[in-house]
Amino acid sequence: MGEFKVHRVRFFDYMPSAIRALAFQPQREKIAVARTSGSVEIFNCADRFFQEKIIPGREQAATEALAWVGDRLFSAGLNGVISEYDLENQKVKYTIDAFGGPMWTIASNQQGTHLAVGCEDGTVKLFEVCEGKIQFEKNLAKQKGRILSLSWHPSGSRIVAGMMDMIRVFNTETGQSVHRLLVERGIGASRSVECVVWGVVYLSDGTIISGDSSGKVKIWDDLTGTLIKSHQVTKWDVLALSVSQDETSVVAGTSEGTVVQFQFLSVVLGQEDKEWVQTRIFKNHTHDVRAVLELGTAVVSGGMDTQFVVRPLLDKIEERGPECVLRKIQFPHRSLVSCAKKAGLLLFQYPGHLELWRLGESDGHGASGSVLPVKRKPEKLLHLKIKGEEHICCSAVSPCGEWIAYSTVASFRLYRLHCDNNNVSITKVSKLPKVLSSANQICFSSDSSKLFAASTCSSVHVVSLSQTVHKFVCTLKPKSGSVQAVHLLAASEDGKWLASANSDREVQIYNLTKMKLHSTVPVYNSGVTAMAIHPTTNNLFMVHADQQVFEYSIEEKKYTDWSRQVQRNGLHYLWLARDTPVTNVTFNPKNPTHIILHDAYMFCIIDQTLPLPDSCSQFYNQLTLRSLPEKDRTKHSHAFKMCKTFKELMFVELMEDQSLVAVERPLVEIAAQLPAPVRQKKFAT
Amino acid sequence: MAKLQRGESECELEKGVRVSVVMSDSSEDEGPEEVAFEESRSAALKSEEEKLQAAKREKELLKEKRRKRQQFFQEQKKKRLLSDTLLEEFDTVPQKQKKLSDDRDEEKDKKQQKLTKSKKKKASRSLQGNCSVMRLKDESADSSMQQSAMDFIQARLYGSGTLRTTNAELLSLEKKRGVKKGAAVQFVNKKWGAEQKAKAEKSNKRFIHRQKLVTT
Repeated sequence: MGEFKVHRVRFFDYMPSAIRALAFQPQREKIAVARTSGSVEIFNCADRFFQEKIIPGREQAATEALAWVGDRLFSAGLNGVISEYDLENQKVKYTIDAFGGPMWTIASNQQGTHLAVGCEDGTVKLFEVCEGKIQFEKNLAKQKGRILSLSWHPSGSRIVAGMMDMIRVFNTETGQSVHRLLVERGIGASRSVECVVWGVVYLSDGTIISGDSSGKVKIWDDLTGTLIKSHQVTKWDVLALSVSQDETSVVAGTSEGTVVQFQFLSVVLGQEDKEWVQTRIFKNHTHDVRAVLELGTAVVSGGMDTQFVVRPLLDKIEERGPECVLRKIQFPHRSLVSCAKKAGLLLFQYPGHLELWRLGESDGHGASGSVLPVKRKPEKLLHLKIKGEEHICCSAVSPCGEWIAYSTVASFRLYRLHCDNNNVSITKVSKLPKVLSSANQICFSSDSSKLFAASTCSSVHVVSLSQTVHKFVCTLKPKSGSVQAVHLLAASEDGKWLASANSDREVQIYNLTKMKLHSTVPVYNSGVTAMAIHPTTNNLFMVHADQQVFEYSIEEKKYTDWSRQVQRNGLHYLWLARDTPVTNVTFNPKNPTHIILHDAYMFCIIDQTLPLPDSCSQFYNQLTLRSLPEKDRTKHSHAFKMCKTFKELMFVELMEDQSLVAVERPLVEIAAQLPAPVRQKKFAT
Repeated sequence: MAKLQRGESECELEKGVRVSVVMSDSSEDEGPEEVAFEESRSAALKSEEEKLQAAKREKELLKEKRRKRQQFFQEQKKKRLLSDTLLEEFDTVPQKQKKLSDDRDEEKDKKQQKLTKSKKKKASRSLQGNCSVMRLKDESADSSMQQSAMDFIQARLYGSGTLRTTNAELLSLEKKRGVKKGAAVQFVNKKWGAEQKAKAEKSNKRFIHRQKLVTT
């Protein structure tokens, strides 16, 4: 198969930011996730929770809540502005100042006509959702305390607001407070601190469920304005509440990392009277859970430990399939590392800066699995801080290592790198073509003569790079007129073809000699997570979010025979059961039949000459093959060679000198920099 | 004797009686002395007058204090306001800048108006001769409110009353109770607990120096 020297890179200090809010859109089954860095990510529930879009955040961002109104996404934050997001172009469409001070919560009514925002100064502001904008309608009666959580009654006539030490029910037409429900403070030392009502939920039969900082989930009746039942769920705060669509199940997220489920059941079997009973506890987080969602078939939670956890409720799922798996999404589904293969350089994309490292060298030889002595250590060549407050959207380094490009939502920058043995100097390219205002994805051609920047409406701008002048060559546009953004670009080795994949599940292939569209790959109902063009055969290799693998011949404009055979045979069930998507595909110039790809917990070499594995053969067979004698190995080997030595992989690439680079990010290092967890006393510690 | 234990506010007649009782303490066998009504009456009236006068004096003193304070504040205010000549100069400064600032005031809340006004006064105090109007950063009031909101959340979740521990402890406990038992992360990984090790080093050095264990 091959012996590779592996550069195990652990100096990429990738630090994700905590999840602050979740919002579910039932029509298209998308979940919007707001992080404390201000970035918003869209996950597709139907497509194995693939992270389809990422809207980058900014410095000093403090997004507190998200709300969907139909297909539009709004967010409210502590900077006092409501933002609407442009999901096609992956940026903020506009912001509107609510003039109420910091905003803690935002909620839309079920009819999709109004948005309510809870502010620091004690007002609940109602905005009318118009075409293309939102308009301030009125303030509800101003209260003496901050409004921390809001929930609309399904009919839209009432709103319940959680404040400090109390809950108020408002009538939306008159704007007056109808009920005041007093929440009692905790016992002991917490009596002197105000009780904060972190989450409220209004059900259609008039029941109000609230979660507060004393660790209680309380059930109130809004007709009489009294408490029905109080459940002490935890010693710490209950930070988030969510109710399912059919109003039979409520989940509460707590500070100690547990998610508690309440269900509307009859206590005695057979009897009709039902009440809210605490049923299950899920402990999938180590730190505070700040947002939860009850999807009916699954419970989604996210918090300070930055993981996006999907816990399926198996009693609601009928068939056994990929939805029955507990998913913990830790890493983004895009590659944050780009590699200059010929120069041995790695470019790391952080939110606010870029780092360029040169890989180290080692001369020694050793047996498989041994650690080689390092002759020269890896060194950091460049630390490039971006100007402005926006975070980086995408970045790339050219294969020769001479050009670095990055883009934010507002700007596009290109730099020329001069690298002598010890001196590194960088010059900014000032005169860029005006079309390059911002890009969703950047790619360099293999000879570093052209720059491809994906822009609005799935178009790709081609710019030729030279020593002096950088000319805009042309814009490549798809025929379908899609408005979605491109999230993947792949250029061929010979410089003739360019492939682009967008969020509409379209993959376009452009002919670069004629500068026009060559063909479109047949649409597959799962998004593309990684793709690459083979250097010699010019086959486009694509891996999708549901772990399906396709190979499309560009010149012949059809799927290759190997790809058809894979589809006929079906992939092995263990391959399909992997829960992290493949984020990078690369090839070996010396072995044209090898394809190298990786996901977060494995890297794999697919050999197209070997037979495909069938369901009864052993899939992870590398260790057994090593124990067999040489002659028997060919009988038992199959096309998928999986290696699980490297964990928490962010990037795997094969360099020109046949050495592998594996960029790992151990979860322990991420856990070291998280904020403090609660102190729990466990038995025998 | 019980009457002696009562408070100061008593009617004059009882006072008169008390006086007579005290006098008789010296010789308990004798009967109480006779005191003329007129004497005790005059004594009581005197004490009344004295009380009234004391109250009047106190009122006068307070009045004086208040007057002095009022004067002092007025003087301070005069100092803060500009002199009339400067104000005349300002009237001739271009009207545009005034209009701009007025518009901005109308847009913002009243609270912010007050803030901007007070800030304007401070800014304008430094103007002598060359007038240049400084543009206030509109975000200054907002960012302070945002900061106070963030402090509120930080205090509620990570403040003094909350029981929080460190990530090192969390991971160490997981290792202790895990299937494969291991040592705490501070001992396994060099990077953890670097500050504690540095502190321990320092205190060791101090101890050795104090105990003079190392002979110089």
